[in-house]
Amino acid sequence: MSTIHSPACSGFESPIGLSRRKALQSFGMGLGSLALADLVSGEKPQKGPLPNAIPAKAKRVIFLFQAGGPSQIDLYDWKPRLKADAGKELPASIRMGQRLTAMSGNQASLPLVGTPFKMEQHGDSGSWVNSDTLPHIAGIADDICFIKSMHTEAINHGPGVTFMQTGSQFPGRPSMGAWLDFGLGSMNSDLPSFVVMVTKNKGGQPLVSRLWGSGFLPGKHDGVRFRADKDAILYLNSPEGIDRTNRRKVLDHLRDLHEIQLQETGDPALETRIAQYEMAFNMQRSIPEVTDLSDEPESTFKLYGEHARKPGSFAANCLLARRLAEKDVRFIQLYHQGWDQHGGLPGGIKNQCRETDQASAALVTDLKNRGLLDDTLVIWGGEFGRTSYCQGRFNAGNFGRDHHGRCFTMWMAGGGCKAGTTYGSTDDYSYNVAENPVHIHDLHATILHLLGIDHESLTYKYQGRHFRLTDVHGKVLQGALA
Amino acid sequence: MRILPILLFAIAVPAAALEEIDFNRDIRPILSDRCFKCHGPDASNQKSDFRLDSRDNALRDLGGYVGIKAGDLEESEMHHRIWSSDREDVMPPPESKLSLSDKEKALLDRWIKEGATYDTHWAFKSIPAKLQTPDNKPLKWGSNPVDPFIAEKLTRAGLAPNPETSRRSWLRRVTFDITGLPPTLTELDTFLSDKSQNSHEQVVDRLLASEAYAERMTSEWLDVARYSDTYGYQVDRDRFVWPWRDWVIKAFGENMPYDQFITEQLAGDLLPNATKDQIQATTFNRLHPQKVEGGSVPEEFRVEYVVDRLHTFGTAFLGLTLECSRCHDHKYDPITMKDYYSLSSFFANIDEAGLYSYFTPSIPTPTMLLTSDEQDSQIAEKEAAVAESIKALAAESANAEDSFTKWLMNRPTEFQWTGLEAHVSFDGRQGGNLPDRVRKDKPTKTSGNNKSVEAVQGQGLQLTGDDAVHVQGAGAFRRTQAFSIGMWINTPKKFDRAVIWRRSKAWTDAASRGYELLLLDGKPSAALIHFDPGNSIRVTAKNPLPPNSWHHLTVTYDGSSSAKGLRLWLDGKPMPSTIVRDKLTKNIEGGGDPDLRLGERFRDVGFKEGKVDELHVFKRELTAIEVAQLHDDQSLLQALRTPLTSIGPQLRKNLRHYFLSTTHPPYISELQNLQSARDAKRSLIEPIREIMVMRRLEQPRQSYILDRGLYHSRGEPVGFDTPAVLPPFPEDQPRNRLGLARWLTSPDHPLTARVTVNRYWQLFFGNGLVRTPEDFGSQGKPPSHPELLDWLARDFIQSDWNLHHLIKRIVLSATYRQSSIALGESRETDPENVYLGRGTTERLSAEMIRDNVLALSGLLVKKSGGPSVKPYEVAVSFKPSNPGKGEDLYRRSVYTWWKRTGPAPVMMTLNASKRDVCRVRREVTSSPLQAFVLLNGPQFMEAARVMAAKLLEKHPDSPASLVDEAFRSFTSRFPGDRERKVLLKLHAEQLAHYKANPGQAKGFLGIGAHPEAKGLPPHEVAAAAILINTIMNLDEAVSKR
Repeated sequence: MSTIHSPACSGFESPIGLSRRKALQSFGMGLGSLALADLVSGEKPQKGPLPNAIPAKAKRVIFLFQAGGPSQIDLYDWKPRLKADAGKELPASIRMGQRLTAMSGNQASLPLVGTPFKMEQHGDSGSWVNSDTLPHIAGIADDICFIKSMHTEAINHGPGVTFMQTGSQFPGRPSMGAWLDFGLGSMNSDLPSFVVMVTKNKGGQPLVSRLWGSGFLPGKHDGVRFRADKDAILYLNSPEGIDRTNRRKVLDHLRDLHEIQLQETGDPALETRIAQYEMAFNMQRSIPEVTDLSDEPESTFKLYGEHARKPGSFAANCLLARRLAEKDVRFIQLYHQGWDQHGGLPGGIKNQCRETDQASAALVTDLKNRGLLDDTLVIWGGEFGRTSYCQGRFNAGNFGRDHHGRCFTMWMAGGGCKAGTTYGSTDDYSYNVAENPVHIHDLHATILHLLGIDHESLTYKYQGRHFRLTDVHGKVLQGALA
Repeated sequence: MRILPILLFAIAVPAAALEEIDFNRDIRPILSDRCFKCHGPDASNQKSDFRLDSRDNALRDLGGYVGIKAGDLEESEMHHRIWSSDREDVMPPPESKLSLSDKEKALLDRWIKEGATYDTHWAFKSIPAKLQTPDNKPLKWGSNPVDPFIAEKLTRAGLAPNPETSRRSWLRRVTFDITGLPPTLTELDTFLSDKSQNSHEQVVDRLLASEAYAERMTSEWLDVARYSDTYGYQVDRDRFVWPWRDWVIKAFGENMPYDQFITEQLAGDLLPNATKDQIQATTFNRLHPQKVEGGSVPEEFRVEYVVDRLHTFGTAFLGLTLECSRCHDHKYDPITMKDYYSLSSFFANIDEAGLYSYFTPSIPTPTMLLTSDEQDSQIAEKEAAVAESIKALAAESANAEDSFTKWLMNRPTEFQWTGLEAHVSFDGRQGGNLPDRVRKDKPTKTSGNNKSVEAVQGQGLQLTGDDAVHVQGAGAFRRTQAFSIGMWINTPKKFDRAVIWRRSKAWTDAASRGYELLLLDGKPSAALIHFDPGNSIRVTAKNPLPPNSWHHLTVTYDGSSSAKGLRLWLDGKPMPSTIVRDKLTKNIEGGGDPDLRLGERFRDVGFKEGKVDELHVFKRELTAIEVAQLHDDQSLLQALRTPLTSIGPQLRKNLRHYFLSTTHPPYISELQNLQSARDAKRSLIEPIREIMVMRRLEQPRQSYILDRGLYHSRGEPVGFDTPAVLPPFPEDQPRNRLGLARWLTSPDHPLTARVTVNRYWQLFFGNGLVRTPEDFGSQGKPPSHPELLDWLARDFIQSDWNLHHLIKRIVLSATYRQSSIALGESRETDPENVYLGRGTTERLSAEMIRDNVLALSGLLVKKSGGPSVKPYEVAVSFKPSNPGKGEDLYRRSVYTWWKRTGPAPVMMTLNASKRDVCRVRREVTSSPLQAFVLLNGPQFMEAARVMAAKLLEKHPDSPASLVDEAFRSFTSRFPGDRERKVLLKLHAEQLAHYKANPGQAKGFLGIGAHPEAKGLPPHEVAAAAILINTIMNLDEAVSKR
């Protein structure tokens, strides 16, 4: 599946060490054909594998990012010990002096607390899932690969989310979607290849647009945010009073004018300009088409839940994600905020799950039913987990948990990962990883691997250094692959 | 022609076998890119002993073999390794994913054979003092000294320069380049009819003198300076920094010499007799993102701020990627970790906090009060009044001798506390209530978790450290009010840190705004704080408080805002202490929790298991004898009862002080006057805004090498120094930012002038002579015209860093004046125009595209400076906010409000820099999203309809004139016949369409805040607006050609 692409970026190097021009010469493309290529970052796919090619299992990724740090203990990582030892201090032998956030780090006492939810094993795989608030995800346990041993150095949201999305805690690096767009290019010609959707009207720790930014990669690899608005992207629709026929006429004249200039100057940039407007015109149709859910049958809303009718809800975004996947959008990034339960955790978790459980499971099921799950990788998870001890005072019924990066749970489904498995584990306190630790860099390496990319080969030279999504780290989780 | 392609595609490969190898051009790029990562300057992180970064290292005996033996291929291990076909042996190793082409291998062989000579990296060599312009005879082309350099390379490459571009095209190009705005049609006509010899120069002089020039240059500098109107990171609140942007505009407007421009921004505060403007310039160093997210570790982010300053310095002035040396010695350039952290010392030496304040709007320190001259004189008056009051108080004290003597003879034998606001004895507890002996209706509140225990007098309280004791309604003091707080405490251990009492909402989350008594390293430490640590007074005891015993601790404060007025007393006696901070210039109230609280603070370390008893709060500064009385319950009583003859001088002094401040009305009234005078000054200062600046710490902050760049992994301490590979730090300069700026702008510095002229060259040609303006190191691209770069740099220095001079050199050159149309094969032979054999074709910048339509429609508000404004687009950014009104909608884009977490979306779509970090280059893309902005964006549609109305009024009956003027406004030329035909047809169609569909015209003629045109038929305005919007979308309207 892997193909050579030569991202058009004058002055920069391509990910595979060929300059664009060289690539074009090698493949006998004339300069004229660059025009469209400049616009759709993928260009026309060309034959030939990436160096060190790996057979790609996934063609696209849907990342259901759960921002705020969902509690692994209350969702997937069952720890009876925490219930038994509720109210007791976290043993120093477990904590081992690691740095805590400045929120609970100065607390005089760190009392343990177990989950108030019913944790049960589900499916043939017997994976542990909170049956109270995640009944739907529990229902697809056999499609999921749970990773219980995720860990990160970040202890706060900003650095944490940035790390998960870009491979670095500090701003400035390209996001995962931008890397993929850069490395693999687009699979379609009338939709962006990296789309971002944020659940509307959710509070919580703020998200920032650079999370889907291209960092030092060319700006065209930026994620395009779809808004739950009449304009799904910035100023998409023509102003009132300019209908589609009239827009077409005007653009025809604009094209005429550009062609006159092209004849006079021979500058291929004009071809790019012409293509830019043609594609814009197409997108004015294709984007509303994909975002308009009115052609979905009742059964869809039964599957995803009634929330899916509400634009901007997580459920609606999951449904949109499926529609975009069908159109071969490469990387679809959802964000759902609100998992930052420093206090009132039981109620908070219930709310979060009500908003996300059914739709997350529905997306996996829907993709599966449509035969898309095999080559679509769905990822669920946040920037870190939560502590096994209370933030603030101990109260077994209503408590909070602080940020915890030493271990947390994520899951993946489809796209070549091993269904119905659990990878890695944590200690009795869900405080440290017990076996098979998975760092964020490892997760990134694995995602790239599933997409057919050797994470060490996808590089970009910036400020003299060959940068990678995985920095100088990362190993593929062979045990999580199908 | 024959040799050209090779030169273009691989500068590293010499053109022909006979051409001499140039180490810097041919060899270094290969070694750097393919070998240095493991065999380069970063010796400590390499597996191999073989180093290639210097000749000595490369030729070193490695124990029976050598990596390179000069002139001897067979003996050179490197030769064998690069040609090896064994996976284990071959270099670079397969797992590095790097490889050498056969051509490169052959070249390395040739280099070894010819002696393996090295050369200093070009950018570290000094700029020659004098440079000859090349012989230009063969071409006889050019109009100034820039041109022979270009001509010579073109000739050598078998190319020829393009003909000069048309006058109108040059005018459009130069007007956009210098001012960021289009030429007006009048300016165009004037220039076209100007037959004078120096008409070009006159234009340039006119443009350089314009305000628009200063705004354009500022626009570019905002990218370098990572300017933003918000703090960044997650929470991203608004911040107040635009006065710095106005400083930049003023500096460019005055054509401030560039070395001064650099010096003032880096170190204006350190200049002798620094003016407010010069201090203001240093805000440059504070424009990095800043953090407020709860739970963050302040030191982690303080380190980030320091390195951001350093990286900005590196990129903006040195053109070096210092970043690489944060975690290890640079892999490619001779910059060590020690160099990195030594250089960072200069930027670390300020009194700053790693987090700004969540609960208060305090400006992160250090700051400068942004006063007007009038306010300065008002403040001086108030200060004089305070000084007068202090004198009057002293006079009153001197005058009181008679009254005191009288009093002394007829002293009372009992006393009542004066100014006692609260007294909590911790006895008589009723559940969560602790009675207050002064204010019966205001019991102090405690959680049940704090246990009552036997204490000094009856019951006291043992604290959990997680539950504050709330002294209701007590302790609301301003910094101009005197107060005293005394309490018995018993600490269970020597705390690294613990809160005994505080009146403030939070520690880092409020920058400790308020006042507090802490234990730090076991030592009592009292402070009044506006923003910790930079705007506060703090005194800390010299000795720790002994644990597990009861001690009486009193803090007294005199309302002076100075540290010597803040005193610690242990067991009734002054405590030897040190002044840690002595700069309090702003209020200490605000942020929440307005009452005194004991034992706990939000996210701070509580007084866990500490015991307390007998809290007294006074609204005045206690005298020594009163403090002693608080401790022993007898000193004052005894003194009052001591026979006159037994009163020694010290006791007499103490009693006198007691008498004056509690009993003697004239003195008390002077005390009140002093407080009023201080209040008058305070209330004058309070509303005056502060701005972040640099201010050197008197006691330099020690910097360390941070292992792997981690804030908590301190290694070897380092001093203030510059990298060894660059010229030495001048002996006659101070080791501070000013000395650093002098070093940087010394005429012998190899980088500063080169980096600067390269950036400005890029501004006019789209690319620098060094095409990696951010990296002049060995991984950067070597200059295409090294001699020209050096010549321009030296010329720039010799002109006293005169930017106008440099710009004139550039824009008046024949090189700049060339037509941009690629003739013949030149697009294929030199596609990236490295040889500059033609003019630049480039899309306009985001700011120019927007400003252009504002200017041409007449909507542009030409007002300079002031707060940043919010045009329509902020309403649809990722972090939406309400657009401004009136003028705010039509200001130049340099004034557009910049929010880091959701920057202005039109600007972003058109490739503006995000301004997260220093950027010296923008990358231009072409995407359909840009088409939406120009076709549908309200700013653009409004400009189209407003311009339509304007042109319709001017050309009511002539579509052809309307078309011509619209087209010419956007392109500076008349349309060709074919173009005119298309445009007229478009216009006619639209006219017919909107005549037939009048309702549709209404749809977009109301876009924007500008009033709709009156008295014009809507379908005519609509048709003209569509026409103009179409022209706006022409490639030529958004490009420089």
